[in-house]
Amino acid sequence: MIAIVDYGMGNVRSLANAFAYLGEEVVVTDQPQVMDDAERIVLPGVGAFGDAMRAMGEKGVIEPLNRQVMELRKPLLGICLGMQLVARQSVEHGNHQGLGWIDARVERLAPAPPLKVPHVGWNSLDFPESDWLFQGIRRQEANFYFVHSFHMVCARPEDRLATTDYGGDVTAVVRRGNILAMQFHPEKSQDNGLRLLQNWVNWSAGC
Amino acid sequence: MLKKRIIPKFLIRGGRLVKGVGFHDNFREAGNPVSTAKVYDAYGVDELMFVDIDATLEKRVVTGSIIERVSEEVFMPFTVGGGLQTLDQIADLLRSGADKVSITSAAVQQPDFVRRAASRFGDQCIVVGLDYARTPDGRRRLFTHGGTVGSDLDPMDYAQRMQDSHAGEILLCSIDRDGTMSGYDLDLIHAISEKLDIPLIASSGAGTLAHCAEALEAGASAITISSMFLFSDHSPIKVRTYLSTNGFAVRSQLGSHS
Repeated sequence: MIAIVDYGMGNVRSLANAFAYLGEEVVVTDQPQVMDDAERIVLPGVGAFGDAMRAMGEKGVIEPLNRQVMELRKPLLGICLGMQLVARQSVEHGNHQGLGWIDARVERLAPAPPLKVPHVGWNSLDFPESDWLFQGIRRQEANFYFVHSFHMVCARPEDRLATTDYGGDVTAVVRRGNILAMQFHPEKSQDNGLRLLQNWVNWSAGC
Repeated sequence: MLKKRIIPKFLIRGGRLVKGVGFHDNFREAGNPVSTAKVYDAYGVDELMFVDIDATLEKRVVTGSIIERVSEEVFMPFTVGGGLQTLDQIADLLRSGADKVSITSAAVQQPDFVRRAASRFGDQCIVVGLDYARTPDGRRRLFTHGGTVGSDLDPMDYAQRMQDSHAGEILLCSIDRDGTMSGYDLDLIHAISEKLDIPLIASSGAGTLAHCAEALEAGASAITISSMFLFSDHSPIKVRTYLSTNGFAVRSQLGSHS
């Protein structure tokens, strides 16, 4: 079973629909017990970093998440803001502490004109084709849907699995051990996105 | 490289899709929203946009159940608008599966609304719609309530103000060109996209493949298309092929379940 963590921010329905389409049992929850029962955890998120950390604190999901991800080492998938939350800190509207699972900072995108911020739309990925996550993805068709104004800057380059080009390299996928996180929305990236979700489910079944 | 976006825009009236001319006239039935969304998903369009055109006038919000059904069937981004006046209404639509909301009347009526919405849901979530028409003196002025209520607001100044209020994108709709298939308002698209740092979605007027290229050339990050898709034989595939052939970065991949 996949637990999608619900702390009141994010398009959890679309994510749940995407996993259901793939035939997975999925529960949207803020309950530690349900996270305990789950084999995999998904951390979604849309909105501002500070608000999200506060909302997670108020919902009481930070401690259960730490236990599931850092102690029990369950496969975690972070998406969009849910990716950024795994960083140590963000400078979005002030300084905010993140979950700190990946040694990274979240900074504002600042591409040179005429590139716009937010970075909205379909962008291509630079990714390792032999990696399990990208099985079945063709490089020339590897477009994914991004919508964000901030991006993750990793302290350890090896944590960065894929990048996109938006006035320079922008972190698109990070991975460290059981933690996988994507800046784009796989649940909104049509066939390519569904394929990544399926690959993650297949991979994490072996964990 | 970021791709230019092709976005079918669907107008909803009474739970069905419709399309008219100049916001008011000659509405034609255009199908069921959910099945039409599936068709365009299969065409691999880049986003979908739904606007409930009577919502503000009838003081209600676009139907969440339609949005929920769309989000069960298609795995692509979509924007929903129509009658949004409160933050809770936005939260409901996002929970129903919408990725972004478009706000038109409320942004004019409540000066702080866009800022508050962006602060709660993130800038990237808030698309501000500018419905405008030329007044008899030849100037462009904004309208609200589905084009029925005029104002003194100049679209150019207003777009800048909306960017300052943390709008994520601007959706530019010319009432004069809506449904006419006579081409986009290129001057204003160019002027606003030159001035603003946020993406501009050009709407109103697409009738030929060349019109689509002109709007992108003028600086739009995305174009919406309604009548041309609904009432001509130009499919999204033809648009994409044309744009690609003419040197625009567009997506080659097809949609879900292909």
